[in-house]
Amino acid sequence: MALRMWASSTSNALRISVSSKAHLSPAFSLSRCFSILDGLKYASSHEWVKHEGSVATIGITDHAQDHLGEVVFVELPEKGGSISKGGSFGAVESVKATSDINSPISGEVVEVNSKLSESPGMINSSPYEEGWMIKVKPTNPSELESLMGPKEYTKFCEEEDASH
Amino acid sequence: MRVPRNLEVWKMGTVSYLDALKLQEKLVSDRKANKISDTLLSLQHLPTYTLGKRRTDHNLLIPESALKYIGAELHYTQRGGDITFHGPRQAILYPIISLRDIGLGARNYVEKLELTMIRLASLYGVKANAGQKGETGVWVREKKIGAIGVRISSGITSHGLAFNIDPNLEYFKHIVPCGIADKEVTSLRREVDLVLPDDEVIHEQLISCFVRLFGFSNVISKENPPILLDDAKRE
Repeated sequence: MALRMWASSTSNALRISVSSKAHLSPAFSLSRCFSILDGLKYASSHEWVKHEGSVATIGITDHAQDHLGEVVFVELPEKGGSISKGGSFGAVESVKATSDINSPISGEVVEVNSKLSESPGMINSSPYEEGWMIKVKPTNPSELESLMGPKEYTKFCEEEDASH
Repeated sequence: MRVPRNLEVWKMGTVSYLDALKLQEKLVSDRKANKISDTLLSLQHLPTYTLGKRRTDHNLLIPESALKYIGAELHYTQRGGDITFHGPRQAILYPIISLRDIGLGARNYVEKLELTMIRLASLYGVKANAGQKGETGVWVREKKIGAIGVRISSGITSHGLAFNIDPNLEYFKHIVPCGIADKEVTSLRREVDLVLPDDEVIHEQLISCFVRLFGFSNVISKENPPILLDDAKRE
């Protein structure tokens, strides 16, 4: 499972913005660059989806875990439950804040990452791998089309971070 | 490209915890649907212990059945954080705001809430600081003067902060406050020598600190909004 890191990690080393739309953002549009992986789809609420065959894995992005702070508690749904696109399927707690996690797609929960109850910090240290949250059988695979690809998500993050 | 940002401030006096919870749920839903602008509730509660999502009730040191004898209620909530106490003379702010509109994540939001209380304390010459890692809240030396517990749902906040003006600190003896043992609580009253102004003044100052820190340019105030005033409202 070799996932190619997006250009942001290189640009992080070079300290340049990945965005080519300079007019939208000042010189230092990102306080830091976050890793955004190829091969995944992204929601505007900062969850990622990896669709492999009949199963989609869902978690939160590097950008999301950084903005949350250290995760100390994770609440996930039961296996067999159903979730709908845009609906909340769980929550994480960090810095005395519980944040709902919303699902990018609809489906049936077929697996839940039970390691997160003992090691919630994996969401911070490995948001795309060990920090995966649920696996879902999508009931409406066309929903994946409306999610963002890596380039769009990068731009989305920059614009969001530049707005304050 | 700064868009003017509106905040509606509701000054509510004493409100029961449940009423405030129901009101927040409605406001969060309205804010999500963009029916209302960012809103800030300023209030205080009657003696109430509350627990967060993790339900750490082992930090309540007296049996739940004994609470009525000390005139306190207990509520379970969906906010982050551990057990805490709310009571008269503790200034509470519940911001119902859209974090996505201002590009803030949970961590930055909570830092700004801490700073709001730190700035208020500094108006009285009290040097307060944010906690060490994992100890969210506002401290004066080793004593806690302000607590935070927040819920974020689709980027909309609820619950918020509680700042001790001069609440009855005895109530804190029945809990391990915020789950941190061996740390005491304090209040503005304990930390200053001078006579404090009326609580209303301090509530105003707290609101002011919040407005400035969060960059709201347009503030509309609603005194005694026609919702759910507690019968036992105290002056």
